[in-house]
Amino acid sequence: MIRIEHLSKRFVTGGGSLLKRTPKKIVQAVADVSLSAENGRITGLLGPNGAGKTTSLRMLAGLIAPDAGTVSVDGISVAEQPRQALARMGILGDAHGLYPRLTARENIAYFGRLQGMEDGAANARAEELAKLLDMTAILERRADGFSQGERMKTALARALVHDPANIVLDEPTNGLDVLATRSLREALRFLCSPAGGAKCIVFSTHIMQEVEQLCDSVTVVAHGRSVATGSVQELLAMTGETRFEDAFVKLAFKAEEQQA
Amino acid sequence: MNFRDFFVVLRKEVMDATRDRRTLMRLMIPAVLMGPLMLSGLSGLIASLENQAEQREIVVSGIENAPSLRNYLERQTYTIKAPPVDYEAQLHASKLSDPVVVVPKDFEADLQNGETPQLTVVVDSSNTRARAGSRSIRGALEGFARERTALALAWRGVPGGVTQQVEIEEFDLANSQARAAQLTGMIPMFVIMAVLYGALTASLDSTAGERERGSLEPLLTNPVSHGALVAGKWGAVALLGMAVALLSALGFIPAQWLIKSDSLQAMFRFGFNEAAIFWLLQLPLATGLGALLMAMAIRSKTYKEAQAGSTLVLTAVSLSAVIPIFNPGGDAPWYYWVPGLGQSLLMNRVLRGDELLVSQLVPGIITAVVLTVVGLAYVARSMRVAAAR
Repeated sequence: MIRIEHLSKRFVTGGGSLLKRTPKKIVQAVADVSLSAENGRITGLLGPNGAGKTTSLRMLAGLIAPDAGTVSVDGISVAEQPRQALARMGILGDAHGLYPRLTARENIAYFGRLQGMEDGAANARAEELAKLLDMTAILERRADGFSQGERMKTALARALVHDPANIVLDEPTNGLDVLATRSLREALRFLCSPAGGAKCIVFSTHIMQEVEQLCDSVTVVAHGRSVATGSVQELLAMTGETRFEDAFVKLAFKAEEQQA
Repeated sequence: MNFRDFFVVLRKEVMDATRDRRTLMRLMIPAVLMGPLMLSGLSGLIASLENQAEQREIVVSGIENAPSLRNYLERQTYTIKAPPVDYEAQLHASKLSDPVVVVPKDFEADLQNGETPQLTVVVDSSNTRARAGSRSIRGALEGFARERTALALAWRGVPGGVTQQVEIEEFDLANSQARAAQLTGMIPMFVIMAVLYGALTASLDSTAGERERGSLEPLLTNPVSHGALVAGKWGAVALLGMAVALLSALGFIPAQWLIKSDSLQAMFRFGFNEAAIFWLLQLPLATGLGALLMAMAIRSKTYKEAQAGSTLVLTAVSLSAVIPIFNPGGDAPWYYWVPGLGQSLLMNRVLRGDELLVSQLVPGIITAVVLTVVGLAYVARSMRVAAAR
């Protein structure tokens, strides 16, 4: 269970170095984002590019400290007990680089060890995840020559190695082909089912179809604010549209008007 | 800090670095071979100088003009050789390795008439071997001049001693190891560079490389303290630096077999003891400079950018060994505080067979501890900022 309440973050860019002075610019990346994700459900964070999705998820992962607002995972505050909170989350962030000289198994097991698992347990778990994500064939290969899809699978397995109750994914389907996207979708469905452990899954995307096909609940984010929350059907009803894309544009656009 | 996490990170970083065989070999081959190769090359030069001295050959142009000189040289068991026609050009081009004595045409007549004829020793000071030989040749010619003077005086009933009121004897204070150290003074620098090269790739890869690959952000989403992460990475950096240093130090032991000069071989005593001391002396460098390299690299977004920064450290360390040249008055106490220079001086003491003093060892260790603590604290602090960008 993940709760994000009234999160805000501003960045100060520029100021320049000794040699080059550039005017300081304040960017309000996140103004007021709230989100509630339950166990056994897939919660989508939908928003156009630059809406503040990645920044919000980074604050959830404890990489950036928020200016205001609170984030808690299974009731544990990320700001106060970051390590306990991180142990309950599997995070596949915006950056998900692998170690090219290590095999897929070593990449996965390394994170397992860092999560406090023993060698044997981490390796057994790597094999288990390889079966789930259909990547047994590449398990002993070095990550150096992996395709985009293989990379993504390895990174996802790495994030799930400690069998976390909460899974956070930042635009996981970016750069994946149809087949890889499909298998990822199936894996996520399984993970949130009772057989897969009824995980709480939060994933951000800007792709409508993914949300329609996968999400039990959606939070629409625009200009750093969460503007609407509900299931796909509820959002359609809220806007009086029949196509989800139209509903989304209306919600995001309305926010823009409010801003102006 | 959690020691378990420290070892998990350390193990992974060492494995990761040693998997990169190609880079490792490229760094290791010059680091390990340069010193021994230089040593054996140098020994070749010394051997040829010794050979020159043993052969007692003297190259004289126009010896037919000086029968008395020929007589003297032959009595001194010198073999007289005629120079090639273009000896000046050959000396200049370092093709001829003996200085040439030039005898003027009317040398013998002038000598008989009591005039002072002139002998010229032609040498090119940029020709190392010829320059080294000129001293013994001057000695031989001066011996001839002394004999002539003594004879002339004896003819007039004056004892020979009047021309030499004072006798000069040279007494060399340097023991044989100290003499060898003059030649082997550059060896420490090779070992120091070996440490730096060994630590370099690992330090860049585990900081800037991690950022460039986009693996730093996922790494930080693990419930591990930043202290343990940074310490584990640093441990791997220091370990690799020390591993290359060990190879480099051990490389000098077989290099001795390549030494061609007998006297150099007798003087250059570098056994397992010396190698072990050399190696241990690198510990402050591998730890302190490893941390410094990491701290310089963590701010860089790419490996390439970090490499440019690290050149600064490498250059500073290799230049530090030159400081004593500008200050020939002897070793100042502050030298031992400078990383690189301090170790170079200590290693030179080992080569000279001098004792290592605690007062010389402690400054380097303190410098290393300070560099490590400050560097690692900086890396730990910067890591979160770096990942968020």
